[in-house]
Amino acid sequence: MTVEAAAAAGFRTAMTDSLLREIADHLDVLARTGACAAIDLRSLPLTAADRSELEERLGHGDIEAVLTAAGTSEIWETRYAGVWWVRHLGAGDKIAAERIEIAACPEILTSDAADIAAASRKLAEDLNCISSEDADDA
Amino acid sequence: MHESETIGELLTRRGVSRRALLKYTTYLASLLALPPMAAKGMAEALAKTRRQSVIWLSFQECTGCTESLTRSFSPTIEDMIFNLISLDYHETLMAVSGAAAEAARLAAMKENKGRYVVVVDGSVSTRDGGVYSTNAGKTNLEVLKETAAEAAAVISVGTCAAFGGIPHANPNPTGAVPVSDIITDKPVINVSGCPPIPEAITGTVAYLVTFNKLPDLDDKGRPKAFFGDTIHDRCYRRPFYDKGLFAKQFDDEGARKGWCLYEVARARSPTTPARP
Repeated sequence: MTVEAAAAAGFRTAMTDSLLREIADHLDVLARTGACAAIDLRSLPLTAADRSELEERLGHGDIEAVLTAAGTSEIWETRYAGVWWVRHLGAGDKIAAERIEIAACPEILTSDAADIAAASRKLAEDLNCISSEDADDA
Repeated sequence: MHESETIGELLTRRGVSRRALLKYTTYLASLLALPPMAAKGMAEALAKTRRQSVIWLSFQECTGCTESLTRSFSPTIEDMIFNLISLDYHETLMAVSGAAAEAARLAAMKENKGRYVVVVDGSVSTRDGGVYSTNAGKTNLEVLKETAAEAAAVISVGTCAAFGGIPHANPNPTGAVPVSDIITDKPVINVSGCPPIPEAITGTVAYLVTFNKLPDLDDKGRPKAFFGDTIHDRCYRRPFYDKGLFAKQFDDEGARKGWCLYEVARARSPTTPARP
């Protein structure tokens, strides 16, 4: 078997067990104090099999989201409430950044105050345009 | 032109949400091995910052470094760097613009005196006054000295600019030298590689914009964030190396189980500083 074939077949390093314990500790802190945390998966030497195993053991909960700002991102809450998987895809749909967020809601899903202010101005402008057009029609 | 515009204002004007910026800083924090929770603060700081003026000079090079940076064809997370910088001059991309391009370089230098960043790809010809590599009637040597004089920092992108590269090899007919041999009174950051991975190029520029200071450098002037670890340090077979589990042949049981390949390949990964 070639090295490539061995890699394709998949092997695990037992790092998933360590990660799950770290996630459990962070989730306990979130439950008790509300303090959020994140684990950068990209910085860890995980094999493809490790990653799959972690995803399988955390599972999928009842929320999934697709973000389309600056490329595609896939976000879902795992079967453990407060534990979120956030995956940002880059060029060629390769994983550019990937992390586990332990929070009530991932930061990137909440609307930023600057975006809300800009949207408020835009909606008001759009309504003014519609009012002007109505007045012209009348 | 929007000279005093912040990155946040620019994004709003372009209809790009702050989520895109947060996504980029999440990516950046991962690249630079910063704490994951730093991403939000970085996004907030960047939103209040002006875009960084960048002047890109191309000397004795093959354009591979520029290709590395610009080869993406669809809007992606990696492209967000172009919202953080104002690429005021790029010698290769703007070559067709002739005198207008040179005027843009001089205007950017004047408007951003002491604040702009110079990126160089390619080594610098010095023999016979540098006449073996010229552009717009000036030698590369002359343009480098002129442009770097009022720069905040210089980034040498690629092995040619960082260490001389192929043009520097014997018999070196053009007298090629790395940028750091010419520019000795400014910070020079070496992002070596042939070409460097685009993340190392954009990550270094983004670090300057985000933190307004130089990244930590190793003894060869390279950012530690990208050159501080060896391939070995981040290899997914590393846990097996630590356990002393080595494959003896490419097709043996150990190889299939993912054990370390050091003994098979006499791998140089333990001594090769790079981000895999």
